Amino acid sequence: MVINQTEQKESMLKRGWWLILLVAGAIIAPHVISDFYLVILIEALIMSLFALSFNLLFGYMGQLSFGQAAFYGLGGYTVAMLITKVNFNFWLSLLAGVGVAGFVGLIVGFFCVRLRGIYFAVLTLAFGQLLFVIIYKWHDFTGGDDGIQGVFPPGILKIPMAYYYFVLLIFIASAFILWRIVNSPFGHTLKAMRENPERTEFLGIHIAKYQLITFVIAAAFAGLAGALWVPFYRSVAPFYLMWIKSGEPVMAAILGGASTFFGPVLGMFIMTFIHAYILGFTHFWPIIMGTIILIIIFALPGGILEFAKVKIKERQERMKSAKGSS
Amino acid sequence: MFLQTQRITKEFGKLRAVNQVSLDIRKGDIHAIIGPNGAGKSTYFNLVTGYHQATSGKVLFKGNEITHLPAFRRCKYGITRSFQITSIFPKFTVYESVLMGLLSHRGVTLSFFSASKKFFKEEVYRILEDVGLADQADTLGDSISHGDKKRLELGITLGTEPELLLLDEPTCGMSAEETDSIMSLINKLSTERGITILFTEHDMSVVFGIAKRISVLHQGTLIADGKPDEVRANEEVQKVYLGGTA
Repeated sequence: MVINQTEQKESMLKRGWWLILLVAGAIIAPHVISDFYLVILIEALIMSLFALSFNLLFGYMGQLSFGQAAFYGLGGYTVAMLITKVNFNFWLSLLAGVGVAGFVGLIVGFFCVRLRGIYFAVLTLAFGQLLFVIIYKWHDFTGGDDGIQGVFPPGILKIPMAYYYFVLLIFIASAFILWRIVNSPFGHTLKAMRENPERTEFLGIHIAKYQLITFVIAAAFAGLAGALWVPFYRSVAPFYLMWIKSGEPVMAAILGGASTFFGPVLGMFIMTFIHAYILGFTHFWPIIMGTIILIIIFALPGGILEFAKVKIKERQERMKSAKGSS
Repeated sequence: MFLQTQRITKEFGKLRAVNQVSLDIRKGDIHAIIGPNGAGKSTYFNLVTGYHQATSGKVLFKGNEITHLPAFRRCKYGITRSFQITSIFPKFTVYESVLMGLLSHRGVTLSFFSASKKFFKEEVYRILEDVGLADQADTLGDSISHGDKKRLELGITLGTEPELLLLDEPTCGMSAEETDSIMSLINKLSTERGITILFTEHDMSVVFGIAKRISVLHQGTLIADGKPDEVRANEEVQKVYLGGTA
């Protein structure tokens, strides 16, 4: 037991170094990359937060949501409308975006958590499209297909570099909260429901209740991502809620590894940067992205990070057994 | 009375799988339910645990009616079960699997920010010692042997600190050696932890070796209920079920 604990502490330290390096890199990054890639980096961070919210449902709860963009879009629309229509405080608008997304998540989730598997996926897709159509058609209230323009962040946040640090801070805080959640007793229950819902229920867990709570948390964080994106681009449009947008975190999770916490982040970074890079010389970027995903699915089932994790573990075990035999 | 079913009936369409079964299970007993295939043993289990809802009749546990309670709530009252087809968490380690039952039973599953690793270490290891899996604590559930999976499922249910444990064919698919060891484990849990055990089993030597009371179902109807000797001597039981083997 004692040896076990020191081992654990050591491995935590090792893992901690990775994080410190990453954060240090993220702090230095805007000073070494071009303005163009700074914008891409901000996009990648916001979309990664979106992907993390999605993966709470997909990777941890084991249900595929195909309507997550609805909450992303709602967060964005809430901010856009509050700022442009009633000149509302920026910070409170962000909070409102999270709140609205979470509240609608509660209503949509109430129906969706009764279903599992493909039925869950289709119902989330249906609700997502429903919300998209409402925003698209309700011209007087939402601006319809014109969207809303002129959504400015306050003061210094108008400068991309400042906005970058602001987004980085929120991303780290959100990732930390989500990390704590998935490793908490609540998170353990989520994973148990994914592994074996029947067994979990017969241990005294009200499955629908836990799924609903998770759905609301995921919706709220998706809303936060949308609420961060819109002031950066100064505008919002209905397609933010569309099913195509919902597909992006799905791809990111599969690419990076849905069973790992940071897999979807890695996937989203790869997607965002490849997208930006390839768009420089061709508009056919989906072909290239599709090819990459195809290769990943066949060559690295479980995604990049999961594959790396398995390899590292194999190596450690080889080293362990080598030590043991010497 | 500890567990009592009153004229409990379950119909699937026109099929009456369990027919007006009135049965008392006494606290601390190891109680077997036997009967040929299709006798309604599993359905009876499902009515007690909340997997199915009864068509008519009542289920009482410690004086409270639980007939229409959902499964998870019955578990909170102290009723847990295992399944005929072993039901574990394949990608959880043995340790994590047992932890789940404890987290649920001790009511901390709505804790969002504390690390689940920090909870109930001693309790988990005590259960693992009891079911004999302590040395495999870090192994994944789906990579241990079939017999150990059955033990693990028992360990998972023990996490909920049950008063009544229902075991559906606990020795299903096991070798004679594994059967012996799991039955002595069940016996130990009953005596040391005071858990009331209700189980179904097709192997008569196992049943008569361990059960303190036996109930016999035939085509959904209770035809005998009593001590092993009484049941063995019962003519109707002889006729429909035991044949010449007993």
